[in-house]
Amino acid sequence: MLCERCKIREANIQYTEVLNGVKTEHHFCAQCAGELDFGPYSAIFDGDFPLGKLLSGLLGINEEQKEDKRRQVICPTCKTSYEDFVKNSCFGCPDCYGVFDLLISENIRQLQGSDSHTGKQPKYHLEPELQKDAGQYSTDASASGPAVLNKENLDAKEQIRILQAKLKEALEREEYETAAVCRDKIKVLKEGV
Amino acid sequence: MAKWFERIDPAVPGAINSRVRLVRNCKEYVFPSRLSDKDSEIMVHRLEQGLRNVGEVDGKDYHYAYLREIKELDKKILRERRILNSTIAAKKTPAGVFISEDEESSIVLNGTDHFRIQLLSCGNHLEELWQQADRLDDYINERFAYAYDQKYGYLTSYPTNTGTGMRASVILHLPTLSLGKRFQGMVMEMSRFGAVIKGVYGTGNENYGSLYQISNLKTLGTTEKEILDRVNKVSEQLLAQERQIRRMTMEKRGLECEDEAYKSYGVLKYARRLAAKEAMIFLSQLMSGINDGILKLKEPCSIYRLMLGIQPANLQKLSDHPLGKEELEVARATYLRAELPEMLE
Repeated sequence: MLCERCKIREANIQYTEVLNGVKTEHHFCAQCAGELDFGPYSAIFDGDFPLGKLLSGLLGINEEQKEDKRRQVICPTCKTSYEDFVKNSCFGCPDCYGVFDLLISENIRQLQGSDSHTGKQPKYHLEPELQKDAGQYSTDASASGPAVLNKENLDAKEQIRILQAKLKEALEREEYETAAVCRDKIKVLKEGV
Repeated sequence: MAKWFERIDPAVPGAINSRVRLVRNCKEYVFPSRLSDKDSEIMVHRLEQGLRNVGEVDGKDYHYAYLREIKELDKKILRERRILNSTIAAKKTPAGVFISEDEESSIVLNGTDHFRIQLLSCGNHLEELWQQADRLDDYINERFAYAYDQKYGYLTSYPTNTGTGMRASVILHLPTLSLGKRFQGMVMEMSRFGAVIKGVYGTGNENYGSLYQISNLKTLGTTEKEILDRVNKVSEQLLAQERQIRRMTMEKRGLECEDEAYKSYGVLKYARRLAAKEAMIFLSQLMSGINDGILKLKEPCSIYRLMLGIQPANLQKLSDHPLGKEELEVARATYLRAELPEMLE
């Protein structure tokens, strides 16, 4: 069927309108649909319709009864709320990953097919003070050399791994309090590392 | 200096270009969407200062520009050449970009993430591009601490990029394969192999130019090497199938293929007015004709360069006054007449 507006391209969008109980059907091509005004649904036909919005839909549909509590979770660093995240599919700062970890890890796992990174790690971890004069970057190896995780924090790493396993178990058993305790411990350990 | 898209890579006909993109963020700043204008400005300035000698990594000359100082038309050109994506091009808060002279490498500062490292090249050179991106990544990391997490890897604004922060893609010319009934099904199936395939030019189900981009779907839980292997494997498979079907078509309908290539050359070389869609279709048919050895040009010429050249912003840039729709089509035909080399008889 051809698009009823341009009558040139194949119609691939069916738009059903119900007005005062009267149902009318329209058939448009993607281009014409983009040019027409469908009120709040217009965004769907936008050329720049971000995959992210679709993703938000997927992240938002689960477990509606828990939603209200979840929406109140706010990242203390950047003030992004869980609601903001569901709306934009976008985090506000690196800390958001830790703050929303319990809420999103399962979704990220579904989306990415995995929830743990296996690729490259940063070679350098400069302390913030050292970077202030990045233009005059120090060549002093002791100050700027690769501070790859050393032996001292291997223990901490191991502890984190154990805690993460416990956290996962607690989540599976829906013991959220235990999970929260594990999460906080992990956070403290990570800061130490 | 020749831009990357002006070069010709005859190694694998059908593999038009390849790209590796890494996104990274500074540990001590919130992500760009939460940074105020003032903080963005301060951060972008700091990052620019820290990276102003970035050329020492690869010996290339880099040019730096603040995004808001780039004219709208030039931004559109950068968009057509894939240095910027649509989100970054439309961004209003302070951002900047380092671009190498050959436009092969670029680093966008404060786009969707604090750093967007991108390497482009003609042909399929994913491995080399990754090595170059890796070096630029280390150079930046030496100066700025990254937001990194043991579990989620490199932390990014969108969870779709977290982990490696890497997108590897290859653009393929699939003129015969894409005509088949099974092609749409194959596109849908691609996600099972961890890859995405999408048309480069055209809207909706239409595709002008038969160019398709293959890229990795996932960024978390796979190593950079695995991502490259996956994209390479899918690309090789698609190209092998394209070659096979093309050979069968040439055997069965050789005259039609030959006629199509010569007709396309004739139209592109002599037309007085060309719409973007028809020009892309003829260029694609000419590309097939050259690859099949049906037709030879007097001088080597990258057809992909012509495909980029006939895009609206680039044609507008070549003109001294704003072009209307008809003028744009005339400018497109004029450009092609001038740029397309003579044919070897």
